[in-house]
Amino acid sequence: MSGAPRRWPSIVALVASLLGLTFGSLSTIDYSKHLDRQVHGIHCSFIPGMPVDSGGDGACRAAMYSPYSSIFRDKYWGGVPISLFAVGAFAFFAAFALYLVIAGPLASRKSTKFFGLVSFTPLLASALMFTISALELGQFCKTCVGIYIASVLLAIGGIGALVEGNRRGPVVVSGDKPEGGEPQVATNKPAVLVPEGAMWLPPVWLVTLGIFAITPALLYVSALPSYANYISDCGKLAKSGEDNPVLVHLKPAGATQQATLFVDPLCPTCKAFHKRLEAEKVMDQLDLTLVLFPLDNECNWMLDRALHPGSCIVSKAVLCADRRGLDVLEWAYDNQDKILESAKAPAGLVNVRAMVREKWGNLDACIDSKDTKVRLDKMLHYIVDNKLPVSTPQLFLGDTRLCDEDSDIGLAFTLRKLAPNLRQP
Amino acid sequence: MKYAGIIGITAGCALLAGSAFQVHAQVRASAERLKTGAVLQEKPAVAIANHAEASYCTPKFKEVLAKVIHACGLDGGDTRRGCQPADVKTLASINDDDFNNLFIPLKDRGGVVMFDDGSEKVDDEGKQMLEDLWLDRKGARYFFILARASKTGAPDFNRSLSHKRANSALFHIGDKFKEPDLDKQVGLLWLGNEFAQLGQDYCKWNVSRKNKACTAEAINRSAFVSWVDCQL
Repeated sequence: MSGAPRRWPSIVALVASLLGLTFGSLSTIDYSKHLDRQVHGIHCSFIPGMPVDSGGDGACRAAMYSPYSSIFRDKYWGGVPISLFAVGAFAFFAAFALYLVIAGPLASRKSTKFFGLVSFTPLLASALMFTISALELGQFCKTCVGIYIASVLLAIGGIGALVEGNRRGPVVVSGDKPEGGEPQVATNKPAVLVPEGAMWLPPVWLVTLGIFAITPALLYVSALPSYANYISDCGKLAKSGEDNPVLVHLKPAGATQQATLFVDPLCPTCKAFHKRLEAEKVMDQLDLTLVLFPLDNECNWMLDRALHPGSCIVSKAVLCADRRGLDVLEWAYDNQDKILESAKAPAGLVNVRAMVREKWGNLDACIDSKDTKVRLDKMLHYIVDNKLPVSTPQLFLGDTRLCDEDSDIGLAFTLRKLAPNLRQP
Repeated sequence: MKYAGIIGITAGCALLAGSAFQVHAQVRASAERLKTGAVLQEKPAVAIANHAEASYCTPKFKEVLAKVIHACGLDGGDTRRGCQPADVKTLASINDDDFNNLFIPLKDRGGVVMFDDGSEKVDDEGKQMLEDLWLDRKGARYFFILARASKTGAPDFNRSLSHKRANSALFHIGDKFKEPDLDKQVGLLWLGNEFAQLGQDYCKWNVSRKNKACTAEAINRSAFVSWVDCQL
């Protein structure tokens, strides 16, 4: 057997790079589509090119809406998706791997060493994103997993290239002449040494990798539209609730921004929105007026059926907790699936009542009291007085309504524009 | 090897240019949709929060209700609160029976606060009924107090007594709950003996003096109170 480097690592790296490029592109395209402030279906499959999922895979959507999906989110609406950098980087790795495949044993040692070392960078980025997905999001987006797999394969290819490149010995090349005094292998063909490569090449490649990585991002930013005219155009709160004793007032120390938040404790969108506000680290900065808006016809006359059965009971618990209302609300969010499932079971609301009683036994009498029922009625009348849409969540910063369209990937940007007093995370 | 480098550089540039072009085109397309307002997927229409709309809110009921509300100064365009039955009759163009029939749907929603003969004083049972009914607002927009006086006695005296009974009910609610916008929620009507009298059937309604005999005479010494669950 010859001691010449073999091509398989480069081929693996090429395939991995193209795979990463494809997943990165799909992710970026999905992200870019949402720049029109509308909700779109997203690609969410291990098989690139599968039709978009109009229902929206929860994990992919959660990943896209999370603050970890992009950078400079407070500077640009939606920020700059990190998948853009992956697109550029994988394009570079694909081109480099192609070069290694074609050059084969004649590729310089510097090139294989360089490739072997930098091929770990996507893996490091993927490891970071994987950890975030596991710890912060608790779920894995299939498109992201595709990029993780591509990164692992690329690293394997890189290691292979590194190992192969370090193999000593001449390369047997038909028709070529030997270039040095190294011993030749036992063959009747002439052998050459693997060239070392010029010293200046690795820095040039590194700079090129950087250029590749940031070029798509620069083009992306250059094409972004202005959102200034859209973000404050979704209505005003006609009647302030700041002094309304019926509403729940939560003002943590250091709160700098008055806000009114309308939520249903059993609404999944409210839960996701709450988590996004927490991720943006603004909850502690809000002088918050909390308005319960249960989408449950047990107490809400605006509906003819319960969208979130059991929500009236949980809302009353939040009201009864008053200053600790946020604790009850967050408990409801954390146990939302379980509560909704219980509410839909045969015993229905009795189950929900039991769950609330088990956790918040001290609120029991208050939840059943006439005063609480009246307070919730008045809260709903406050919503009627403001002529708000029957929809949750709704956030008003001061008296300006945060548009639904700006409540996901555009949240950081819009928060900073509508509430400049909020500190950046 | 030289060719490998050239091919690699060419492929890299092509991949970068292709990816960047694709991204740029997608962003521009989104920007265009944002600018033109083009909608790819219609959003479902969202209802606006409103007051309750019960099944008894028929067009005719609402027509009269609207006129009563206007006459009673509850539509926000008038500072006047309270109206005399004659106003309502004229405005609503309805006869006595029709007028009474309008309140029949409210049988299960409202109650009848009874008064002593010649008195406008609300007793404890009446107060309790007023409080219970007031708190049972749910999604209603308007609260009506329709006071009556019996057909015996002078018309002026009865009209005045009826007015006082309506005010007594209103004042109790005001004193008890201290609502800031009470005058925008409560409509007062006072009917004298020139107006239709209630029959003894109304004794079957939710009356405040459950342990006392309910006669046709007694039922007309009353104030009918109810939230009205209609949107206007």
